[in-house]
Amino acid sequence: MCGIIGCVGRGEDTLSTLVAGLSQLEYRGYDSAGVALGGETVSVAKRAGELSALREALAAEPIAGDLGVGHTRWSTHGPPTDANAHPHEDCSGRVAVVHNGIIENYQAVRDDLATDGHTFESDTDTEVIPHLIEAELDAGADPEAAFRAAIDRVEGSYAVAAVVAGADAVFAARNDSPLVLGIADGATFLASDVPAFREYTDRVVYLDDGEFARLDDEGWTVTDADGARVEKAIETVDWDPEETGKSGYDHYMLKEIHEQPRALRQCLRGRVDELRGQVDLGDLGDLSPTGVQFVAAGTSYHAAMYGALLYRAAGVPAQAFLASEYATSPPPIGDALVVGVSQSGETADTLAALREASHRNARTLAVTNTVGSTAEREADHVLHIRAGPEIGVAATKTFASQLAALNLLRLATAPGSDARDVVTALRDLPGDVQALLDDSTARAVAEEFSDAGAYFFIGRGYHYPVALEGALKMKEISYTHAEGFAAGELKHGPLALVTEDTPVFAVVTGDDDLSTKTVGNVKEVEARDAPVVAVTDGQSEVGRYADHVLELPETHPTAASVLANVQLQLVSYHVARALGRSIDKPRNLAKSVTVE
Amino acid sequence: MSVRTAVVLAAGEGTRLRPLTRNRPKPMLPAGNRPILEHVLDALVDAGITKLVLVVGYRRDRVQEYVGPSYRDVPVEYVLQEKQLGSGHALLQARDAVDGSFVVVNGDRLIEAGSVHDVAEAYETDDVPAAVAVIERPSVRHYGAVVLRDRDIQQIVEKPDTDEYRLINAGIYAFDTAIFDAIDGTARADGELGLTDTIADLLARERVRGVRTEGLWVDATYPWDLLEVAAEVLARGRVPQPETGDAVWVDPAAAVHDDAVLQGPVVVGPDSEIGPGAVVGPVAAVGRNATVGANATLQRTVLDADTRVAAGSTLVDAVLGQNVHLGPATAIPGGPADVRVETTVFEDQPLGAVVADRTTAAGDVSFEPGALVGPNVEIHAGAHVPGRVAEGAEVVR
Repeated sequence: MCGIIGCVGRGEDTLSTLVAGLSQLEYRGYDSAGVALGGETVSVAKRAGELSALREALAAEPIAGDLGVGHTRWSTHGPPTDANAHPHEDCSGRVAVVHNGIIENYQAVRDDLATDGHTFESDTDTEVIPHLIEAELDAGADPEAAFRAAIDRVEGSYAVAAVVAGADAVFAARNDSPLVLGIADGATFLASDVPAFREYTDRVVYLDDGEFARLDDEGWTVTDADGARVEKAIETVDWDPEETGKSGYDHYMLKEIHEQPRALRQCLRGRVDELRGQVDLGDLGDLSPTGVQFVAAGTSYHAAMYGALLYRAAGVPAQAFLASEYATSPPPIGDALVVGVSQSGETADTLAALREASHRNARTLAVTNTVGSTAEREADHVLHIRAGPEIGVAATKTFASQLAALNLLRLATAPGSDARDVVTALRDLPGDVQALLDDSTARAVAEEFSDAGAYFFIGRGYHYPVALEGALKMKEISYTHAEGFAAGELKHGPLALVTEDTPVFAVVTGDDDLSTKTVGNVKEVEARDAPVVAVTDGQSEVGRYADHVLELPETHPTAASVLANVQLQLVSYHVARALGRSIDKPRNLAKSVTVE
Repeated sequence: MSVRTAVVLAAGEGTRLRPLTRNRPKPMLPAGNRPILEHVLDALVDAGITKLVLVVGYRRDRVQEYVGPSYRDVPVEYVLQEKQLGSGHALLQARDAVDGSFVVVNGDRLIEAGSVHDVAEAYETDDVPAAVAVIERPSVRHYGAVVLRDRDIQQIVEKPDTDEYRLINAGIYAFDTAIFDAIDGTARADGELGLTDTIADLLARERVRGVRTEGLWVDATYPWDLLEVAAEVLARGRVPQPETGDAVWVDPAAAVHDDAVLQGPVVVGPDSEIGPGAVVGPVAAVGRNATVGANATLQRTVLDADTRVAAGSTLVDAVLGQNVHLGPATAIPGGPADVRVETTVFEDQPLGAVVADRTTAAGDVSFEPGALVGPNVEIHAGAHVPGRVAEGAEVVR
């Protein structure tokens, strides 16, 4: 949930490098931030609040050093305060530590340390680590040995980095939390995620669980738990560092909404053949699952529900599970393929569910946006959605790309007679999304209803997950109550919530039994005087019962859901904007949820 | 050259290019298989520019999304011109985004890196308040004609109706921040602030250097000019795709069937598909994510992004916008034709048809030579499309 960074070899630019890196990691959490510079001595600066608070503190009282670590935090233990912000120090001020993850045995360790006379400044689990290092140093260990011994004592998930006075090195370790090294000429970096140092290098080394790293003037070394040297491959990442700019848009979210045609093209590139009506996903085409279980959380869960519908329509039994539930109360798996859907590939709940499945010898597949992520490395197979980096906390383009990728997966592994139609519709998607973006009236609709008491979203079939996602987006960024329902379920209870103050967004496309039934549900709502916004391709008569229509280009039913979602993204964005919300960084939320 | 900043004017629609500008400004129309603006940015980056300021306005989302936060690793800053009130007004919006000296170019005309370089260098060495590129053209009627004396501009005549002039203002300028006060002091004409009006003011009291340049300089005045622009771009090989045959450029992410024939010059963009038996070229530019069906024939044709041409179609002298869907056996037989734009008739233009964004034609549709078809038009099977069709219309027979 937090982000860490470290660097060696940046000389006088060390502090500015760390702070710039933190700003690239802010999406991971932003209730406090701090840095520690090492060398002969260790100095720390940290503040609760957004990164600007730390910047102000550093401007008033600068610190210096040739190497260092930094942290941006999202609270798991203790409220966001200066004291709880990382880095954490030992009693003597010789050690500073940043940490992402959870130390599960911290209470026991802390009690032991307190008995030995250590005093603690914060409520965090992390603080035990600098004190453990201090104890080892006092016992005569050298800094690296002290760091290794301290890590040996803690249990849980962590990406940890530390500086120790008198050691010209940054020490780091990983277990169950992402950590990647960046290798530049004359400088070495570490971070939770590549954007933190992408400005300086595109060469990276992904650490695996149980590995330690030492960064110093000589470069970098990775060792295993026993201290033996591990040969690591240097990989090259191809993300453009400038892709993290807003390019003239007011918010990353709006930029990313507009990037969807591009993201979809990238997702489909080289994978679809319209003239032959075929999909090529390489080895994945050999999977031929007899059953599929999707595991995912949040927006990715809605994509998973959609994926399960695709497989069921193709005659393959499939279900979507919330990853957090699956991990702790798993269903019988049989010989089903277990598919984890996670934008970051680091979602702890989804990783736990995939591990549970692996543990029970199921075949696993990760559908992710992040090359080299933990999900990819742990699963048997991977499908990249190729949406490019997403900075806004509210997922937009990655959801569209997930839906497109799941269509590809279904066509490659369970091909049917509809392949040609779906492939054509997928290739038309970028242009259709562009058409919708060029002409959308979502802003006017959003501004009319921005003071509503609640928002409801209904849909059937492929549009049911879209209704849920529309509501989730609205909750996330407008902070207003919103719910999505299967259209037919409305009359079984939720209809009691519907009033003239609760706009209902109905997703209806095509003109078939499904749409006729949804139109019937729309009439129920209209009869209760609720404002109705129809999201429709205009083929059914839903427009007659709606106060507003958000238009969709006509296309295949599975592709229509992708389009409908884009209109709902725009509605949420403009509602949140009218309400003055912090759109790119909604309260209490982080982009990548790396705790269970 | 020490001028490192460029301001690119990309806010205007370019109304004479309608109906192709329904969803994007003229700089985003295709020169070959990528936007005019991209060629302009290439020229600037090649000339050594390290900071780009884009003035955007009309349909600015399309510019911002396409160019993004940087172009070829050169950072891009966007400034908004809310209402399009002339080129001087557009430049004024960039006041807070630049300091020192800078170049200014139009985002909707193809230029050479050398021209940018020459203007910037002349500006620096001659210590003048402004330098302006001039270029010789066979016809100057649509542009600002320039009269030089030695190396200085003596006079600028906007859109002259005689042919006595040979040189025009090429729309590449070098200034420093003093230009902003000069624009502020310029009188508005018809509510607009033209940059050339400010330069005309400067001429009255100071030296303005005219820098003669040569090489590529291409402007599209009317939609069918995009065919000539494509021909020029292809003739000079100004395409990013690798050359896979003689004057044939195919993107690695395109799929061209083994039995398709590409007759150079022709370029095929990423994610596009060319079916078996198709004959594409000479002079054809296929944008990204387009499809050319089996046995289709394309000659002197520009096919923009996301556009589909179904099997057995014949397209000659055609400009297709984005997301156009032409059904099987569509016939655009080609020019010459008389093209009517409002009250003016342009005689004997080499134009088959211009078809704007998101128009769909079912099978077996034929186009009157010189047809201008608006966006979102629905053409029924077997219909014959007349010379001019308005946006959103239905053509039934």
